[in-house]
Amino acid sequence: MRLPPLRWVVLPILLVPLAWLLFTGLGRDPREIPSPLVGKPLPVLAGATLTGESFSSTSLLGTPFIVNAWASWCIPACVDEHPVLIDAATRYAGRLAVLGVLYQDTPDDARRFLVRYGDGGWPHLLDSSGRLAVELGVTGPPETFFVDADGIVIAKQIGPLTFETMAEYLADLGLSE
Amino acid sequence: MKGLALPVAAAALLALGALVALEVLRPTPALSPAEQAQQIAALLRCPDCQALSVAESHTAAAGAIREQIGELLAQGRNADEIRQHFVDRYGEWILLAPSAAFAWWLPVAVVLAAVVGLLAWLLVGRRLRPAATEPSAAPPTTADRQRIRDEIERLDA
Repeated sequence: MRLPPLRWVVLPILLVPLAWLLFTGLGRDPREIPSPLVGKPLPVLAGATLTGESFSSTSLLGTPFIVNAWASWCIPACVDEHPVLIDAATRYAGRLAVLGVLYQDTPDDARRFLVRYGDGGWPHLLDSSGRLAVELGVTGPPETFFVDADGIVIAKQIGPLTFETMAEYLADLGLSE
Repeated sequence: MKGLALPVAAAALLALGALVALEVLRPTPALSPAEQAQQIAALLRCPDCQALSVAESHTAAAGAIREQIGELLAQGRNADEIRQHFVDRYGEWILLAPSAAFAWWLPVAVVLAAVVGLLAWLLVGRRLRPAATEPSAAPPTTADRQRIRDEIERLDA
């Protein structure tokens, strides 16, 4: 009996894993960073707000809410997203709360942003030390967390929300028209 | 002179073994908290920059993480617990060195497998190949020669 040449054994051993690596690697979105917070309770976010009050995310428990990490320098993404947030907050007023977390921004710049693009009336935590951003694992604004009434993170969006993606996430929270 | 070779080789081997043992067994000097923090920060990815560690970066996020490393060390948490603290928030993405053990031995295993495979290929291939001196084909027959002549004539025509 004649054995097949060794290369027909060695080549598949080398090429099959390589092909598999390339195939699975190319299918992945390099910008997608899965958040370990999804499925877990949202860490308590507390501190001073843009309007000078002290605020804690624990006061939001009982209704679904959105936590939006944003910055006035985050242009155009945060500007594009802003009407989507305002629309959701007004459309589901009383059934959905919104909490802003400023990411590496000054209160003055953030206020100017809200004057210019519209103030939805929800609180914005200042996070001057960057601690809240670390608690949330924020890598760059805008990032948005969808949290259910029990305080469990249901989903995380990296990058601006559109009306369509917002509707999908809100449906996951049980909010739809 | 020749009788000395074995004892000398044995002594050299013993000395080498002693050196290795000394290096391995030598107690590592206790690090100061600042050095420990630096070591941990050097293996965490800076969240808001490209290809920099938390230790190297001057961004606000890197600063916040460095500050938290210091606080966690002061609370008596060890390096593994602190790394896990950030993995729980950012995911494995934050680590600059993989934590899965197989990630470390996989490249070694691949290189070993390649060396073994190459050696096997060379050795087995040599044994299976017919001797090089053996003519690979029979000399051309008269018919072959006639055909070559015909083909050349056709090309020249």
